Amino acid sequence: MASLAGLDRRPGFFGREQVRQRVLIWCFLAPSLLIFLAYRILPLLWNLLLSFEEWSPYRPARWAGLDNYQEMLFYDDVFWQAFWNTLIFMASAPVGIAFALGIAVLVDADIRGRDAYRTIVFLSYPLMTVAVGIIWRWMYDERVGLINFVLRALGLIGEPIAFLQSFAWSLPAVIIASIWQILGFYMIVLLSGLQSVPRELYEAAAIDGADAGARFWRITLPLLRPSMFLCFVIGMLNSFTSFDLVYIMTNGGPGHATELLVTYIYKLGFVQTKFDTAAAVTVVLFLLLLALTWAGNRATGGDAGAVERG
Amino acid sequence: MKASPTWPIHLVLILVSAIMLLPFYWVIKTSLTGDNIFAYPPAVIPRNLHLFYYVDVWYFIPFLRYFMNSIIVSGLAVAANVILNAMAGYALTLPFQGKGFVIMLFLSCMMIPFQATIIPAYLITGYLGLLNSHLGLALPLFSTIVCIFVFKASFDAVPRSLIDAARIDGLAEWRIIQKIMLPLSRAAIATNVILAFTWSWNNFLWPLIITRDADLQTLPLGLARFLSYHEDTTGALYAFCIMVLAPGILLFLMAQRDFIHGLTTGATRG
Repeated sequence: MASLAGLDRRPGFFGREQVRQRVLIWCFLAPSLLIFLAYRILPLLWNLLLSFEEWSPYRPARWAGLDNYQEMLFYDDVFWQAFWNTLIFMASAPVGIAFALGIAVLVDADIRGRDAYRTIVFLSYPLMTVAVGIIWRWMYDERVGLINFVLRALGLIGEPIAFLQSFAWSLPAVIIASIWQILGFYMIVLLSGLQSVPRELYEAAAIDGADAGARFWRITLPLLRPSMFLCFVIGMLNSFTSFDLVYIMTNGGPGHATELLVTYIYKLGFVQTKFDTAAAVTVVLFLLLLALTWAGNRATGGDAGAVERG
Repeated sequence: MKASPTWPIHLVLILVSAIMLLPFYWVIKTSLTGDNIFAYPPAVIPRNLHLFYYVDVWYFIPFLRYFMNSIIVSGLAVAANVILNAMAGYALTLPFQGKGFVIMLFLSCMMIPFQATIIPAYLITGYLGLLNSHLGLALPLFSTIVCIFVFKASFDAVPRSLIDAARIDGLAEWRIIQKIMLPLSRAAIATNVILAFTWSWNNFLWPLIITRDADLQTLPLGLARFLSYHEDTTGALYAFCIMVLAPGILLFLMAQRDFIHGLTTGATRG
């Protein structure tokens, strides 16, 4: 290989040097591998084991077979509520991606101040979600929130709506806040996808008489597939990991109207100390994520490898 | 092609920008105003600006302690990330047996969200004796897969001949990283610093689980705690929010060019 070019000239040392190099490579990889082993892989396996046990911090573990799953799937209404809420949350990802695509196309245009627009749209993404949740609680406030104020000023509603206390409105309200925060990230990913589309393709299509709409649907969109897939994966991860936003805005309430699988896992595990049941819910969460990533990969043409080919 | 007017684009983008910025405006206005917060209709243009709420937060909440805890945890995470990710990213640019396996392992780890591992992660941290400690708060964030690949992409772009020349001159591998790779990877480092910083700075679930002492709590926890205990002191709550958000916004505005560049080249090649 090219990187060993310097060594090829010293065949006598080749073997020893190669061993040295190999040891060095694994030393470079070891710390990261250990972190991922301790905090990703091992927990995943342990979690699977836990889900088949009857376990709490105060009792020795006992093999429970499918008891936890049985209880969760057949007797636990809150689990099903959290399950469907998580799915709805995920189903909202394409809405955010579609908005972001529109914005990305606009800020890709050759206009003045486009860097400023990009910065403004992206700004909300790196912010602390706890603070964002508090800000949005205030936006939705029944008495003095900006949203009620605007809706009333426009004459769209007569009486103010207590969005976050309402069974019908609380989940959409949380989802809107979540899309608001992640929109900029989608935009940046899609923008880099747009910029990698060769300009000659557009010119050739224009010569062949394709109008702007046709160019968008026939060239831009198909070539954006890898970027769309990445957005889709990030969006799904986001809907699983929106713990902070839900915890701050509603804590799963009213009732369990905004309960997500992840908030339910937290409550089961760390409020009720039912680690075993929480582990079973976690397994469902993980399988759901795998299934949806697979489906998403299929839907976008199966080129997930193009996103991150090592 | 004829030039089409750009004002409709500006119109849409100004509207989008307004939607993105209005929440900030509303909160900053509330944190600065002496107007009755619960008046209706709310004053759109603030009057009687003052900093009383900020002073309150500074004196009546252990803001500085939360802040220092956040700085320590984020500092640990950022330093560990840059060093470990650069090392791993460099290793992945070299040919070795089992490289495909390591890459697959990293990519599959990326599919495991931290939220799906919290219960065993909590137990493991307990067995390591790190519950309720700064190190325990930072350790799971010590290395990030995305950043390893950002570094790898950046290192791959360095001309091979440069590295081979350095090797022939007898430079050790870790000196190659230090002297050649890192100086040429400004955008990758910036991306890593910002990602590691924002992840640890904003991290909420993990500190919520593993800290018991108020002394160890980081800013997000302090903010959440303040929200649940003092729901009536609205102005101070929003002042607290702004004080928490400001460092992140400043860091982002300073490094955004490198950050966005590093993020997009690392994330969607091909």
